[in-house]
Amino acid sequence: MITIKDLGFSYGDVPVLKNITMNLEEGRIYGLLGGNGVGKTTLLTLLCGLKKPQLGSIDIDGYAPYDRKPTFLADQYYLSDEVAAMNMKAADYAANYGKFWTGFDMGKFNEVMNVFEVDAQQKMNKMSFGQLKKTYIAFALACNTKYLFMDEPTNGLDIPSKAQFRKAVTRYTREDSVILISTHQVRDLENIIDPIIILDRQDVLLNASVAEVSERLYFDYTSERNPDALYCEMIPGGNIQVYLNQTGEDSKVNLEALFNTVHQHKELIKGIFNK
Amino acid sequence: MKNDIFNFRRFGKYFATDLRICRANYGLSLMTISLLTPLVLYVIVATINQIMHNTWDGPDIGLRVFAFAVAMICMVVTMPVKCYGKITEKQYGSFWLTLPASRLEKFISMILMTCIIVPVSGALLYLGLDALICAFDHTCGQNLFAGGLDLLQKMGEANEVTLNLIDESITVEDATFAQEIIRQMNNPWMYIDEIFCFTLPFLLGAVFFRNGKTVKTFIALFAISTLTGMIMSPIMTDWALKLVENANDDPMGIFNNMFNNKLFKNLVLIDTVTDTVTNLALMAGIWFRIKTLKH
Repeated sequence: MITIKDLGFSYGDVPVLKNITMNLEEGRIYGLLGGNGVGKTTLLTLLCGLKKPQLGSIDIDGYAPYDRKPTFLADQYYLSDEVAAMNMKAADYAANYGKFWTGFDMGKFNEVMNVFEVDAQQKMNKMSFGQLKKTYIAFALACNTKYLFMDEPTNGLDIPSKAQFRKAVTRYTREDSVILISTHQVRDLENIIDPIIILDRQDVLLNASVAEVSERLYFDYTSERNPDALYCEMIPGGNIQVYLNQTGEDSKVNLEALFNTVHQHKELIKGIFNK
Repeated sequence: MKNDIFNFRRFGKYFATDLRICRANYGLSLMTISLLTPLVLYVIVATINQIMHNTWDGPDIGLRVFAFAVAMICMVVTMPVKCYGKITEKQYGSFWLTLPASRLEKFISMILMTCIIVPVSGALLYLGLDALICAFDHTCGQNLFAGGLDLLQKMGEANEVTLNLIDESITVEDATFAQEIIRQMNNPWMYIDEIFCFTLPFLLGAVFFRNGKTVKTFIALFAISTLTGMIMSPIMTDWALKLVENANDDPMGIFNNMFNNKLFKNLVLIDTVTDTVTNLALMAGIWFRIKTLKH
């Protein structure tokens, strides 16, 4: 389990994260949403040990990530949004580096590469950005780690690859793993992320499961406009409206609408979900 | 695998991977520097001799020693940036820092690769090709490897030469000092730490600066040398003046003064200690850079 307590981080005089406290539990795929510059990447890099917390603490199964102890590193993988085009074949890269992760499975790497339709015998510095990203995603999944942090993994992927990505993440990850995926493109990850974390400047606006969201908010897809709606957006064939769920009726959560609702009613949403 | 500081098995794995990555990143450059330099030098010099003197004469040992030194310098300057410079870039650096090996393992591997594996491999390739060229064309004279062995043998024999000078030009006491200096100069550590002292600044520059790594390293070295020169030159001048003092312009008097000078007597030792301290400081700099590197 990941325990984040009163975490604070700033770049010079500019605070990015302030008093962030939350627990991330095993067996979940967390979606980390937020606008530009709210600290999604910063939070991920703090979790994987690339940065040192300036305030507060992070505890991952008893390890402080910044200590970068090999035993801890062998059970986590961070997939950066920018990936390096190495001067070697993808298969050689996986064979060379995979052995450092105790759970690495070369068979799984080849399988995911096949799912993504990328040739593992191709040199990485000759690949397109999308192919390179898919190679790193395949490697990340093949590492079989308990903790997997992915920063904008669907950036640069074409439309079929996004579906392949969703399939691969649900199929090739451990049941007890904690996966944290940051993204701007919420539609790419709809149906696989649960719970949802929405970050705002220096604050966590929402950290709730899809079931909890559905329990407290109602997503209405009818064409009739409701004056009590917290958020309303025209979509082809009608509107999508979000209002407080007072009847307890289930509805399909729309991540984009949820994100915009949370941003427009920060205090109200925090109040509802922190009850 | 529970040891998070140093584990031989994990280090072995890491070192083997580091070796492969360095081969991928620097192998071609190493081959170019080591194999192309002696070949190009031979062809150019022989062609020039053919045109100018109408004889096919290869480069003499002096020119080949100079070319070898230049090639080694090029290797030492360019290798750390190509193999380890990327760790300051977000794309590769993030991966490198989170690669499951300990900081100490990564550090030791880096030092071994930069100070021993690459220079030795490059030198062996260069010397091997030089020996082949010399075997193929006897106009080049002795090959560099055999020349180096000769030099080592002569240094070993230098003690006897010093003893032969007794009664001719220097006293028994002076000869003992000279022998002591020769003994110190025959100590391999003196040369090993010289190599480290030359390679480590470029490794530190490669992992310290985010861009313009080689240029900034040269600027930093120039600044440090200037500063050291400014501090040391009055001391050295004073020392040199003391050697000349009371010698009455007699070369043998200066010679005797030198042998009786404490600083001169321990010159090699001072050089070794200074280099060792510098190397330790450079290694500490590399270690702390790796420790505090963030992305």
